Amino acid sequence: MDFRFTDDQLTLAESVRDYLAGTHGPEVLRRLDTEGNRDPAIWQGLVEMGLTGLLVPEAQGGLGMGLVEAALIAAECGRACLAEPLVDTAFVGVPWLVGRGEAEGLEAVVAGERRIALSHAINPWVADGEGAPVQSVDPLRNLALRDGEATDDADLLNLGALMSAAQLVGLVDAMLTQAVEYAKIRTQFGQPVGAFQGLKHQLASCSVAIEFAKPVVWRAASALQDGAASAAVHVSHAKLAATDAAMLTAETAIQVHGAMGYTYEVDLHFWMKRAWALAGAWGDRAFHYARIDDAVLGGALAIGPEHTFA
Amino acid sequence: MNLTYTPRQQAFRAEVRAWMEANVPKEPLVTLECREGYDSHVEWERRLASGNWGMVTWPEEFGGRGLDLIEWLIFEEEYFRAGGPNRANQNGIFLLGPTIMEFGTPEQKARFLPPMARGEVIWAQAWSEPGAGSDMAAIQSKAVRDGDHYVITGQKTWSSRAAFADWGFGIFRTDPESKRHKGLTFILFDINSPGITRRPIRQLHGDTGFAELFFDEVRVPVENCLAGEGQGWSVAMATAGFERGLMLRSPGRFQATAKRLVELYREHGHKASPAAREAVLQAWGAAQAYAYNTYAVASKIMAGGKIGAEASLNKIFWSELDRNMHRTAMQLLGAAAELKRFDDGRVNQWLEGYIFSLSGPIYAGSNEVQRNIIAERLLGLPRVGAG
Repeated sequence: MDFRFTDDQLTLAESVRDYLAGTHGPEVLRRLDTEGNRDPAIWQGLVEMGLTGLLVPEAQGGLGMGLVEAALIAAECGRACLAEPLVDTAFVGVPWLVGRGEAEGLEAVVAGERRIALSHAINPWVADGEGAPVQSVDPLRNLALRDGEATDDADLLNLGALMSAAQLVGLVDAMLTQAVEYAKIRTQFGQPVGAFQGLKHQLASCSVAIEFAKPVVWRAASALQDGAASAAVHVSHAKLAATDAAMLTAETAIQVHGAMGYTYEVDLHFWMKRAWALAGAWGDRAFHYARIDDAVLGGALAIGPEHTFA
Repeated sequence: MNLTYTPRQQAFRAEVRAWMEANVPKEPLVTLECREGYDSHVEWERRLASGNWGMVTWPEEFGGRGLDLIEWLIFEEEYFRAGGPNRANQNGIFLLGPTIMEFGTPEQKARFLPPMARGEVIWAQAWSEPGAGSDMAAIQSKAVRDGDHYVITGQKTWSSRAAFADWGFGIFRTDPESKRHKGLTFILFDINSPGITRRPIRQLHGDTGFAELFFDEVRVPVENCLAGEGQGWSVAMATAGFERGLMLRSPGRFQATAKRLVELYREHGHKASPAAREAVLQAWGAAQAYAYNTYAVASKIMAGGKIGAEASLNKIFWSELDRNMHRTAMQLLGAAAELKRFDDGRVNQWLEGYIFSLSGPIYAGSNEVQRNIIAERLLGLPRVGAG
């Protein structure tokens, strides 16, 4: 029993964080917002870091890592508000295909030449896929309506929900940091607004919400990676906890920014809108509550102090 | 990340489970907050000690088992699974015991720890004063040095367990010229010493759990001072850290409450609102989240890490979770929520629990103070007010 990431996992996440912080700052988001949302050079950078092949088996030229590593990297993608479809392709699409024994052709994903945008019946539209365009509140999200039947495969849904939760973790961290930094420099009534307890306590509540959502997300990643029988419940728990922390933090962060928060000029809106988009993607609150309801009140899941990990 | 138990940990769980199943009282004990209940809880402490289950995380030399934190979590899970009573000895196990281990002399360790581990001496906290609650540095009770004694004069209040406990610990102003955090000394005292008057305080639920202590020139030997004169604040902060930190409230307690809440919902859910149903599920989720986080922090500490201001996150989370769960139970009970005993004679433990849960966000540093700590020390927001 050891509820920690390994040093290798932490080093990997840190290198991705540093890379995105250096190459994918708010000024990049602004440029993409006016110049077409996607940039082959950014994608190429992710490919060169090996991230498109993170979950591709080594036999197909990938790194052969697991969902725990992918969830950690997805959180970094959220933190940077990454617009490129790395998470959908590499951390949802790839593991789903590998799980179905359809690993052929994944070399092209490793090389960055193939992107995977999977439709699922729970999502009315698909991100970064072919079809009639639909406009999202998130200006960097490319949605499309697709014709034909979509799968309702539960494994795909669990991967999508888990990786959305992981991105929300990073989005919350970033929004909280932005709000705190703004509260330190914005002065009113002769002091930084962050010195007022009215703001401090709201920001502290966001801290509590996200710090107790994180271990739920990591636990879900571990359960799904191990193929635990109860993995679906833990994924739903993770999606709910991360979504609730994200909605709270987004609303708090805009409040802390005051009128500036209501402008298009402040960076915050990119992160806030991504959080709103992911909150309802891959199963909304009602859907995930219903799954927990079935397991907990329905009695299928063993509960109580002796069942922390069972 | 390895979220499975080793065979040794599984065997340990089985050992705890067997002992608890054989020894935990079949009927819940009367509340700790009255003479009869206090005595039965102390008796339970001695039963635990007889099986060497009293102070499991303490080193063996002081009467413990030297368990690591994961084993402690397993112990606590099994304790609450079996419905183990609240711990009369809590101040000793989690607060004073670790403090003496860190700051005490070898003589103090030998004198105070073994009787604490055996459940022979039960300890009360004596921090707060009428003018020093959340603002503990405003303490005024004086301890004046007179030869090899301190002479204590002043008043402590809201002292947990002090209505019935044997000994107490707290900080006193030994330097009359000092202000705020300086000039304070951590002193242990026999509550039955001449000059101490204890006045039990009737609590919200009507019973007496905490007490006021009046000190009228109480003579306490100098060897009862911990870590030296003037060191009281830093010792108290270490103690408060233990309290708010990992061990004051183990997750098992809340997972057990969440499970009882699920069972209550099965009984009363047909007349409950959809919001109550969601609150029940949220209770399960939050209790699990608290457990995961505790395992994560325990893993970090076992690998050499420390817990600092993060302890404030814990304190807010469990205290608000506990209040939310009991509020939900009161809603599910509907009209019966107000009854002290149900028609069948059972004590309404949800009512008692709800009332008790209202103290959680107040004691051990109010949640407002905790939110300030998070904002200032974890998030780095500017400080305000007196330091």
